[in-house]
Amino acid sequence: MASEEWSDDAESEEVPLQHKRPFGSGLKRKRVVFVPASSGNLNSTEESKPSESSGPSKSVSDIYLSIVMPKGAEETCTDEANAPAPDICDICKLPVNAASDAADAGKPSSRPHQASIAHQVCIAHSHPPSALDRSRMGLAVLEAQGWDPDARNGLGALNQGISFPIKAKPKNNTVGIGVEVPKDVATRKKEKPQMLNAKKVRKMASDDKRRQEKLRHQFYGNPEVEKYLGLS
Amino acid sequence: MADERSSKVSKLERKRSRSPVDTNSSTKRAKVEKTEDSDDDDKKAIEHNPYLSHWNDGSNGFSEGKLPVGSALKHFKRRQTTAKQASKAEDGDNNPFTGEPHSEQYFTILKARRNLPVHKQRQEFLDSYQKSQILVFVGETGSGKTTQIPQYVVYDELPHLNHKMVACTQPRRVAAMSVAQRVADELDVNIGEEVGYSIRFEDKTSSKTILKYMTDGMLLREAMHDHTLSRYSCIILDEAHERTLATDILMALLKGITQRRPDLKLIVMSATLDAQKFQRYFFDAPLLVVPGRTHPVEIFYTPEPEKDYVEGAIRTVLQIHAGEAEGDILLFLTGEEEIEDTCRKISLEVDELIRETDCGPMNVCPLYGTLPPHQQQRIFDPPPAPFKKGGRPGRKCIISTNIAETSLTIDGIVYVVDPGFSKQKIYNPRLRVESLLVSAISKASAQQRAGRAGRTKPGKCFRLYTEKAFKEELIEQTYPEILRSNLANTVLELKKLGVKDLVHFDLMDPPAPETMMRALEELNYLACLDDEGELTQLGSLASEFPLDPALAVMLISSPEFYCSNEILSLTALLSVPQIFLRPAQKRREADEMKNLFKHNDGDHLTMLNVYHAFKGILGRGEDGKKWCHQHYLSFRHLSSADNVRAQLKRIMETHGLDLVSTDFSDRDYYTNIRRALVAGFFMQVAKRENNKIYRTLKDNNSAVMLHPSTVLGADYDWVIYNEFVLTSKQYVRTVTGIRPEWLLELAPQYYDLESWEGQKDVKQALKAVADKMRRRAAMKAGR
Ligand SMILES: Nc1ncnc2c1ncn2[C@@H]1O[C@H](COP(=O)(O)OP(=O)(O)OP(=O)(O)O)[C@@H](O)[C@H]1O
Ligand SMILES: [Mg+2]
Ligand SMILES: [Zn+2]
Repeated sequence: MASEEWSDDAESEEVPLQHKRPFGSGLKRKRVVFVPASSGNLNSTEESKPSESSGPSKSVSDIYLSIVMPKGAEETCTDEANAPAPDICDICKLPVNAASDAADAGKPSSRPHQASIAHQVCIAHSHPPSALDRSRMGLAVLEAQGWDPDARNGLGALNQGISFPIKAKPKNNTVGIGVEVPKDVATRKKEKPQMLNAKKVRKMASDDKRRQEKLRHQFYGNPEVEKYLGLS
Repeated sequence: MADERSSKVSKLERKRSRSPVDTNSSTKRAKVEKTEDSDDDDKKAIEHNPYLSHWNDGSNGFSEGKLPVGSALKHFKRRQTTAKQASKAEDGDNNPFTGEPHSEQYFTILKARRNLPVHKQRQEFLDSYQKSQILVFVGETGSGKTTQIPQYVVYDELPHLNHKMVACTQPRRVAAMSVAQRVADELDVNIGEEVGYSIRFEDKTSSKTILKYMTDGMLLREAMHDHTLSRYSCIILDEAHERTLATDILMALLKGITQRRPDLKLIVMSATLDAQKFQRYFFDAPLLVVPGRTHPVEIFYTPEPEKDYVEGAIRTVLQIHAGEAEGDILLFLTGEEEIEDTCRKISLEVDELIRETDCGPMNVCPLYGTLPPHQQQRIFDPPPAPFKKGGRPGRKCIISTNIAETSLTIDGIVYVVDPGFSKQKIYNPRLRVESLLVSAISKASAQQRAGRAGRTKPGKCFRLYTEKAFKEELIEQTYPEILRSNLANTVLELKKLGVKDLVHFDLMDPPAPETMMRALEELNYLACLDDEGELTQLGSLASEFPLDPALAVMLISSPEFYCSNEILSLTALLSVPQIFLRPAQKRREADEMKNLFKHNDGDHLTMLNVYHAFKGILGRGEDGKKWCHQHYLSFRHLSSADNVRAQLKRIMETHGLDLVSTDFSDRDYYTNIRRALVAGFFMQVAKRENNKIYRTLKDNNSAVMLHPSTVLGADYDWVIYNEFVLTSKQYVRTVTGIRPEWLLELAPQYYDLESWEGQKDVKQALKAVADKMRRRAAMKAGR
């Protein structure tokens, strides 16, 4: 595994070390500038001082909890605080009236709450079945143990596992974090002419928009689809 | 067994990192740590199993009389002791465990131990420990978790009374060994006696052992044969925040075991403040926090993203050296090559800096898992003295992988340079490829790295990215290894551990269903699991080997190909890091030497040639080290392959697997080996598409090139490969040419043309092969 750069810099490595341009001549030319953090220096001594007088275990953990807890706790509170309205839908936990107003600006108020996107998203079984190949041995075993591929559940005691494997792209350069790199030379070349022609871009955007509209009408006007979505 | 596997012997992909000794990145450990214990046949097992050695010898275990005469522990009551009692026993003239007088060194260390942050909370710890079955313990690095807590437990558990040990797990072999040594010194006993350790291929414990440090993988292996871990009264999972695969599995197992064994205590120790997750997972177990003894660390960011993080890092190190006060530097980079290269550059730069200015000297030390131990030791050397009295102070600059992030504590670091990357293992279940990819670290990692600057005095951390990037682009926590791994081996272990329900197995972070399904299917193709997902006899046997299932299956089936001796050697060679060296300055010479061993059929056979030559040299009593040096081979890795081979051989013998060879002069000698390889690696096959491009088969379906290191003399359209390397180009590496007939013959299930989907050309080609085979068979029959 000691050879990833095999092909790429085999040439440059052939130059004997002593003939290489000294790298550091650039040190004075180009300093790395740093700015202090606006917040978040590590200050563990100060944080932990109060507990250093070995109090009972409770107090120490309390301090710890107070460091860690508050954010999480507040977040869950605000969710509930947002929903004080009287008529709350059982399924989506949103106020019935408010939701219908906000849901779809295109067709105001006439739409029942059940048709709002927010509500539909929360309905169980309204999503299409999984596209998994049903003949797979692995699927059969998991199903036999009680996993339902169509329920969009993960594994685990509470089905809380992740739904999809974690993805990562190979990184083959030494570009730092946060630098925006053009995807690759080929795509950049293709994009360039398009960027030059602003008219074209605008036309494409409006085409896109029209296509989207058309699709929407097809779905929401269609009684078949509404039936499938459980609206009737 | 022959019946069972005849039709679908098999195989899968090997992970990219092959080494059992390579601890390069934290991610590799779990697999790496598999032991080679073995036997499952319980009674017989005990005799062979080093770590079960005192299973049935209670009589001389914690020998009668149990305690030395006059031991200070005499009046201790198990699980009712106090810190005061323990301190008094520790202060005694004689060792309470051995009865020997305490050494002078003992008292020196004792004094230092009493200064550790955890010491102040010993009573508090005991209170919680005695009250609760499970305890979560958080302490900053260096607070004394690993060295002290297990000793506190030993003084309260009094393991000599009930013949049950205290175990403390470590993710890394090196850590397990070195901490065991340290604690043996602290307790004033000989390593391997009262305090021992157990790591893959090395068991340093005895019937006297009461405290055992071990890798998490080893404890998992033990659980395979002792489902309730009945030999232990307390298990301490250390470095739980690292979330290695083995630690995660152990946590899930122990969550169940503690329910069934109320007498078993569990302590989960973590260095970071994410302990809440552990608490919640373990039935809201109480939490004990020990404040660290660290100093504030000032954090700096770059105002703009850094174009080249390596160059930025080098400049930053030089800037620190030129302008900052005394204190050592720790720079985090991603891998061996990058680190060695940067070490060289920085050293050259510093020489120049010294010529131009009045800078002090600087020692630059690399640090990564595959570095030979004596070189790793250099990081503990004191920094160099100033050039002349009163001159600018010398400095040490350590350039490390994330190995220095949590598990190795180096005192004296005041400056941390963090480009924000590390190499992480990631598994792509679609490609069935596990690769080490350079990825951005998490916020938690970045904080951990920064913390390394505050061990000795207030420090500074220079991050080579913007504050905005830190806040917006870094994920909160590093993904646990279980979400980034091929689970074939894990599923096999779980089955062996008696886990029936994989779906509801209570893991802290359950893997994606797709990953689990792939693992089941791989094991099914390998005939380790039947169609219902139950362990087959072959699977049960395969789980005894500390190997990837495919390698284990290949090894187990090798006697049928009359080449188990050779496959044993190859398996060992594939389990250690690359044996061929190719130093940057000597590539041509190295390649010439490699050519001496070249076998036209490919890399596996070439490696085998090397191994045979190596054994020949040793057999003649020649200097193997010198020979390796001359031939650009790694003596260390060849020797460790030799060691691995011996261990695997023992397992084979234990299970009655024949060790056979085809006669070397037989023309089928190499063919048999190649066929046996196919029996394991049939899921890693590539077919040539055109001159240089091959395509991997079935789901993997990627265009690949043969890695430039490949030795393949003959023209082969079909090859098996050991690893799939994802870089700017996609390569297959360690390749051997095969005949397509063998695929149909040895893995008919996997190469079932009836159900074949996609890759029409491959299907056509295989169909033609099948027809030819049928015609030939018919002709034979007709004759
Ligand atoms: N081999 C050793 N030689 C000398 N001192 C040691 C050795 N090992 C540990 N120590 C000392 O003991 C202290 C506590 O070490 P220990 O490993 O128990 O800390 P820890 O809390 O487990 O830290 P970490 O989070 O890094 O694992 C260290 O700070 C160090 O001073
Ligand atoms: Mg530790
Ligand atoms: Zn609703």
